[in-house]
Amino acid sequence: MNKSPMLFRRKAFAVWSLFFAVAWGVVSCAPSGSDQSAKAETIRVGVVLPLTGEQAQFGEIEKDSFQMALEEINGAGGVNGKPIELLIEDDTGRPEVGRSAMEKLITQNKAIAIGGGYSSSVAFAIAGVAQQRQVPLVVNTGSDDKITEQNWDYVFRINPPASEYPAAVNSFLQEVVKPKTAALLYENTSFGQSSSKSFAEQAEKLGLQIVLKEGYESGAVDFKPLLTKVKAAQPDLVYMVSYLMDAALLIRQSRELGLAPKLFVGGGAGFTLPGFAANAGDAAQGVFSADLWVPSAPYPGAKEYFDKYAKTYGKNAEYHGAEAYSCLYVIADALKRAKDLTPAAVRQALAETDMKTAFGPVKFVSYDKKTQQNRLPTYLVQWQNGKLETVWPKEFASQPYIYPVP
Amino acid sequence: MDVFLQTLVAGVLKGGLYALIGAGMTLIMGVMRIINLAHGQMMMVAMYITYVCFHYWGLDPYLALFISMPALFLLGVGIQKYTLNPLLKAESLLPENQVLMTVGIGMVLTEVIRFIFTSNYLSVKTGYSDAAFFLGRISFSVALTIAFGIACAITAFLFWLLVKTDLGRSIRAVAQDEEAAALMGIHVERIRSTAMGLGAALAAAAGTLLLPVYYLYPDIGGPFTRRAFIITVLGGLGSTVGAIGGGLVLGLAEAFGATYIGMASEEMVGLIIFLAVLLFLPEGLKRLTRV
Repeated sequence: MNKSPMLFRRKAFAVWSLFFAVAWGVVSCAPSGSDQSAKAETIRVGVVLPLTGEQAQFGEIEKDSFQMALEEINGAGGVNGKPIELLIEDDTGRPEVGRSAMEKLITQNKAIAIGGGYSSSVAFAIAGVAQQRQVPLVVNTGSDDKITEQNWDYVFRINPPASEYPAAVNSFLQEVVKPKTAALLYENTSFGQSSSKSFAEQAEKLGLQIVLKEGYESGAVDFKPLLTKVKAAQPDLVYMVSYLMDAALLIRQSRELGLAPKLFVGGGAGFTLPGFAANAGDAAQGVFSADLWVPSAPYPGAKEYFDKYAKTYGKNAEYHGAEAYSCLYVIADALKRAKDLTPAAVRQALAETDMKTAFGPVKFVSYDKKTQQNRLPTYLVQWQNGKLETVWPKEFASQPYIYPVP
Repeated sequence: MDVFLQTLVAGVLKGGLYALIGAGMTLIMGVMRIINLAHGQMMMVAMYITYVCFHYWGLDPYLALFISMPALFLLGVGIQKYTLNPLLKAESLLPENQVLMTVGIGMVLTEVIRFIFTSNYLSVKTGYSDAAFFLGRISFSVALTIAFGIACAITAFLFWLLVKTDLGRSIRAVAQDEEAAALMGIHVERIRSTAMGLGAALAAAAGTLLLPVYYLYPDIGGPFTRRAFIITVLGGLGSTVGAIGGGLVLGLAEAFGATYIGMASEEMVGLIIFLAVLLFLPEGLKRLTRV
């Protein structure tokens, strides 16, 4: 009579134990750096990056760059004789996963400083955890303005916020192109919204009329309805904020529709990756983009980093990599100067950072609404015959710009 | 007017491919009475097969149909035979454990592909990928137009198969009443495997046809599983004609939503239709068409 409840219970037990076995398996498969028996001498630094999921490609570039910096720093004696141990966690591109990765790094692995933060939404989520747990976080890519506008004293950012991406674009437009109308397309994420909003504001100051401003959902198959509207509006300039494959599709489908503004400008992100030219093919020719870093930038170590990356990994690095590479240098520098190895002391040391990195000079300052934000100039690049060339400002140009675009 | 017509064209062309995806899922739904939540992932596998054919052997994506469809047919049969059929026999805690199994299969397919090809974005660029011809001022993508034609041909073939052949009659018999079909001497397990294989092959066709104009990475399956699910519900679960209608409706809704509401809400439009159908037309388009 009580056979079937028993059977049910045994089955339920089997299901639950399977569930726990899987869950445990997932946890124990995480990067082996989390091994608790590691030598006590190492200094633990956590990194949160998207290693799987849709942004994995960017995460990979950044992870390789972190590793490169790690080998160099430890090879040169580490931090006052102690090697750094890097604990890299996967955020899969989702804020909630990023949060739990942070919790794990802080409570379980006892990391005393953390770097990373790729997408804006993940960076914002993990910054909240860093502040709450009082462990310093150095954001190196997430660029939504609001990340450094919360008065969070444990959050630092070395890359410029999204609103400052188009600075070089604007001076180029003002001095060379002098367009009258612009269409603005952006992916509907916090990065896209933040960048496009500031571009629209700055465009107004330049006397540029925004004839169309529209967001889209990343991963769309067909942009033609949207591009048809752009074509009907006949803008001089099309400014786009997109990740890699949306960027490639937008450009390809624009050409297909015969959409021909005076110039296409990308707002960084997807438009500067080698994969853009590979996937957009000939359509990439002449496309401009904002860029945060170029190998020809006048920073010590920039060119060396670029060459070494190309030699080690057989592909070209771009700004995301330089950000990650420099992030670890900034953290190591703070660790060296910290009075003791506690998160609070490291935070204090980070706040006093004043150094030169391959990504540019790093000094955390407060201005407008922002706190602990590094300020850097930006660049304008252009795809010329499958190569990304720096074209503006003129003093850093690797090639003269091609305009009007044939 | 141009904008309207261009939107209509974009919607119909995309809808043709959606119909193919939906028809495959519907076929599986009808026979198996489960939602195949690995449908988009199967399509993704077919796209990688197409990519390999193109990249390493220079095979045109349309010819690659002859490789990707049989390959996915075998994959579908294998999945049914070795993972889903055994579950039917097991005394289960949850009656939906086959659906859970398809979720797992989808994850395994995604991660295996990621292991082999990494997460990098890939695309197939043929001479006609970006080509377009114009009727009046309306642009037609060459690749999508060809894809639409092939999708129509495959759908017609599917109907002929279901209506005119013994195999088709057996599939419909199993979909209507498994026990009665078994009593009439139909090998139900084999029919199930065949239906799964056919459904997978249809998804493969859609993936292969889409590849010249789209791109590819391991996580591409998810959004298409979601679309297939919406289409299947829209069409009335298990109705092939309904699924084709559902595919076209979803394609048009996405296109018009993108033009007149805003592209940011493209997916929202699909989901609102999904909810509206469940609320007001729970049997889907089947009730309208009575097929």
